[in-house]
Amino acid sequence: MLNNVFLKTLRDQQRSLLYWALYLIAIAVVMALFYPTISKMTAFNQYLSQLPASVKEMFGAGVVDYTSPVGYFSTELFSFMVPLLLLVFGIGFGANAIAGDEEKGTLGFLLANPVPRWRVVADKFGVLVVSMILLGLFFWGGLAIAASSMHIDISILKLGEATLGSVLLALVFAALAFMAGCIKGSKSTSMGVASGVGVLTYLLNTLGGMVGWLKGYRFLSPFYHYMEPNTLQNGLSPVHILVLAGLVVVFFIISIPAFTRRDIGQ
Amino acid sequence: MNNDTIINTVKLTKYYGKQKGIEEVDLQVQRGEVFGYLGPNGAGKTTTIRTILDFIRPTRGSTTVFDLDTRQHSVEIHRRVGYLNGELALYNDMTGEDLLKYLGNLRGGLDWKYVKDLAARFQCDLPRRIQGLSLGNKQKLGLLQAFMHKPELLILDEPTNGLDPLMQHEFYDLLNETKKAGRTIFLSSHVLPEVEKVCDRVGIIRQGKVVAVETIETLKSHSIRQLEIHFARVVPKEKFSNLPGVRDINVQNNILTCTVVGSLDALVKASAQFEVVNIISHEPSLEDIFMTYYNEGKNNVK
Ligand SMILES: Nc1ncnc2c1ncn2[C@@H]1O[C@H](COP(=O)(O)OP(=O)(O)OP(=O)(O)O)[C@@H](O)[C@H]1O
Ligand SMILES: [Mg+2]
Repeated sequence: MLNNVFLKTLRDQQRSLLYWALYLIAIAVVMALFYPTISKMTAFNQYLSQLPASVKEMFGAGVVDYTSPVGYFSTELFSFMVPLLLLVFGIGFGANAIAGDEEKGTLGFLLANPVPRWRVVADKFGVLVVSMILLGLFFWGGLAIAASSMHIDISILKLGEATLGSVLLALVFAALAFMAGCIKGSKSTSMGVASGVGVLTYLLNTLGGMVGWLKGYRFLSPFYHYMEPNTLQNGLSPVHILVLAGLVVVFFIISIPAFTRRDIGQ
Repeated sequence: MNNDTIINTVKLTKYYGKQKGIEEVDLQVQRGEVFGYLGPNGAGKTTTIRTILDFIRPTRGSTTVFDLDTRQHSVEIHRRVGYLNGELALYNDMTGEDLLKYLGNLRGGLDWKYVKDLAARFQCDLPRRIQGLSLGNKQKLGLLQAFMHKPELLILDEPTNGLDPLMQHEFYDLLNETKKAGRTIFLSSHVLPEVEKVCDRVGIIRQGKVVAVETIETLKSHSIRQLEIHFARVVPKEKFSNLPGVRDINVQNNILTCTVVGSLDALVKASAQFEVVNIISHEPSLEDIFMTYYNEGKNNVK
């Protein structure tokens, strides 16, 4: 029974969630299927090891051995593809949650009911977090099953930890888009702000690995806290996780007064 | 403030940046009345309503509903109010039934039998997806969700938008029943005959300012009418000059046109001396009514 904004929002999201989950599982399975071929390409590995450190940085931190399972999955999945996909989903959802409904005019309709504004923010944010975690779980599940049925020598737990890292990274930008929607009520602005900050902080982290004077500022980039611990190899690093989770919480907390204090459009 | 005043706005003012929405609006809506809020496009009707519902915050001034401040107690007020948006936007991917059930659940449950009755009266196709509904059929759903929990106060922004005459009639009946049950209705409109038909009192808003609050009787007695009287023969103009309230007399052969303010009595009696073939009355336009109040307002200042 739909009896609150949380369930209603989750219901609206079910189809999109299903497609994204299938998509992520497909990618996990395909990548696992290709691994045996890659693992035999030792020549490629030698080539990689000759590259200068700054170029390696662009492939993702800590690529010790591309043909090892950890090296392969780090490079192919966790250094770019998975965070990017989750980011696209998260930013879209985050921008749509408040600002999208507001532009459609359905938010004013909802707020005429005896539901406090903070509750609408909290419920929608809750669905955002739950959706991202669900997608992470599906991806991890797909990857774990595929990797173990292919007898790839990699820790299922570490795969889960790396996935959690990606989810948290994406949540930072999703929460940023959500917060921007609460402040301004414009979907396109929210997406623009979150994507823009995403691109800039991504560049800050990668360039920071190569350009000396930027190095000191890398900690400002969420990507740094995601990439630096090399989670697939070493497991989650509590400090970096706390930074990412902290950002998500801060964005959520700002969202509430931002939305409760302003005029609703439409 | 006595507790029969359901809505009370005090110098309510809203500017959108530099753009004026409303200015110093003072309105009192009493328990059990149907209050019409009349004004042309862009006058500030929706702005007033959205401020009362705390969707937008006043630049100055304040409002109480049920003696509760709208800024402090909006949730409690919303619990007791049924609202229909002017620019209705429903969840397109739901069926009417799912939508009403969801909204009912947000209000902690509904008398579903009553909802069914209302749906039957308005011939709502509840199992259909909202996406495919016509404008009028969406509007009917909008009305249903405003009335279905039997709120003490209804705030309806252009409720008859898109309704066909039959459904308008059904809606007027529903208003009457609601009023008889002692509940209060605040509705906006730019259609004068509609307001005359259903309202007890009318507030007239023009360019963000309330220019008059009147009972329907007073409004009618102030109203201007353009009349055209066709006689069987040519009539002398002198017989019609100096009649109280009659202006702009023009006689062409056997047709007399004039403007009448207030009572028609004198003109009708004067006409009765001759053989009358036809009387055509043009409903005064909203603008005429506004002009009367506007000009009177100016005259009073002098
Ligand atoms: N969000 C907004 N931003 C800027 N100006 C606005 C906004 N909403 C309304 N206005 C302005 O405020 C004034 C009053 O508008 P409002 O929508 O209240 O009129 P209305 O009486 O409801 O008109 P209508 O009969 O067309 O619905 C108009 O001049 C309008 O342009
Ligand atoms: Mg309006």
